[in-house]
Amino acid sequence: MPLRLSEDEIIAGASLLPAFPKVVTDILATIDDDNATVSGLIELVESDPVLTARVFSLANSAAKSGNWRKGLRDMHVAISMIGMSRLRQIAISVSLADFGRETRVTRDFWDHSVAVGVAAQELARLRPLPDSSLVSADYALVAGLLHDIGFLWMARFYPLEYQMARQAMAQPGGESNIEIERRYFGIDHCQVGRILAIGWGLPSSIIEAISSHHRPNPALGRLVAITHVAEILVAALGMGMNGHTPFVSLSDAARVAAGLDWKDDLNSLFGRIEARSNHFGRIFLSMA
Amino acid sequence: MPTRIRYLPIEDVAAGMVLGAPLVIAEQGVTTFTLPAGHELTDSNMAQIAQRNGEWACIEEDDPRRDDERAADLVATQAHLDNLFAQTDRSQPANAALYAALLRYRSL
Repeated sequence: MPLRLSEDEIIAGASLLPAFPKVVTDILATIDDDNATVSGLIELVESDPVLTARVFSLANSAAKSGNWRKGLRDMHVAISMIGMSRLRQIAISVSLADFGRETRVTRDFWDHSVAVGVAAQELARLRPLPDSSLVSADYALVAGLLHDIGFLWMARFYPLEYQMARQAMAQPGGESNIEIERRYFGIDHCQVGRILAIGWGLPSSIIEAISSHHRPNPALGRLVAITHVAEILVAALGMGMNGHTPFVSLSDAARVAAGLDWKDDLNSLFGRIEARSNHFGRIFLSMA
Repeated sequence: MPTRIRYLPIEDVAAGMVLGAPLVIAEQGVTTFTLPAGHELTDSNMAQIAQRNGEWACIEEDDPRRDDERAADLVATQAHLDNLFAQTDRSQPANAALYAALLRYRSL
């Protein structure tokens, strides 16, 4: 019998998941805050001892390549070694990777999320159209890492229905994956993800990206377009398919809104996405 | 000998390799380190890149494949792409352009 999941049920299930890392939403808040300081960022990172240890570990790797003889113990020095934007990227990625591990996501799910996060980051760095908005690369990374988070909830609380839906998706037919999800759950992973993201207090543009990456109306903002295009590029590159049959269907309106121009050096873009995803995959594996 | 371009995570890059494109490391949009295309990487360069948290590099390397091997690889690449695009409507210009761009990339 098909399920008819309600928002209340999804929220109740979410309360049984490990706590979403508050440091992620706090760091995202600092990006839009003109008064945010380096000290504020350090304070946020240092509020989490595990995260602090990991930042030092990565900074020490960089330090060993230079003239540093002693291990780093000071976050200000660590920032001078790795830079502010890199620190934010590390703090966000490590926190979400830990959250993923605690939530028992599969390796394939995480690989897919990392690849879409990296692709979204790369797209965010492209020059936008004149009337299009700038998107923070950190926002794009988080949107990419969390875009399929609704699947996690579905697999965790309704594993049988989830497997049945996955098997149906693997069969050739006229039904889209989203339609199949709605048939089995009464709701799709984008809607589940939206409810989770609201509950976690994520910024509205990231909520919209999680909610609408399969329906990328450019009016919904550039981050929605970027997340859609990122997922399609990752599928077309055959990277981390999260067990899904690839479905490559690129919205041209979203491509334009994301700032992807066919005249650009796409070899370099594809190469960066593959190489950086591989790089991050290894970093996270080494931390497991 | 013909050469080919590869994009590698920094863990797979080593001294002695030749850059196929400029290596540029930036922080907050400001370039902090750069090396030109064609530069042969040294141990010192590798340390500098690691210090600045370089994540990837574009490498140009010898391509020892014969012409027939290269042609066979292209056919295999196209078959792999066809599989990935099996459910895709390639009459849509955006999908067709993406397929063509990926075929060019995979043929590097």
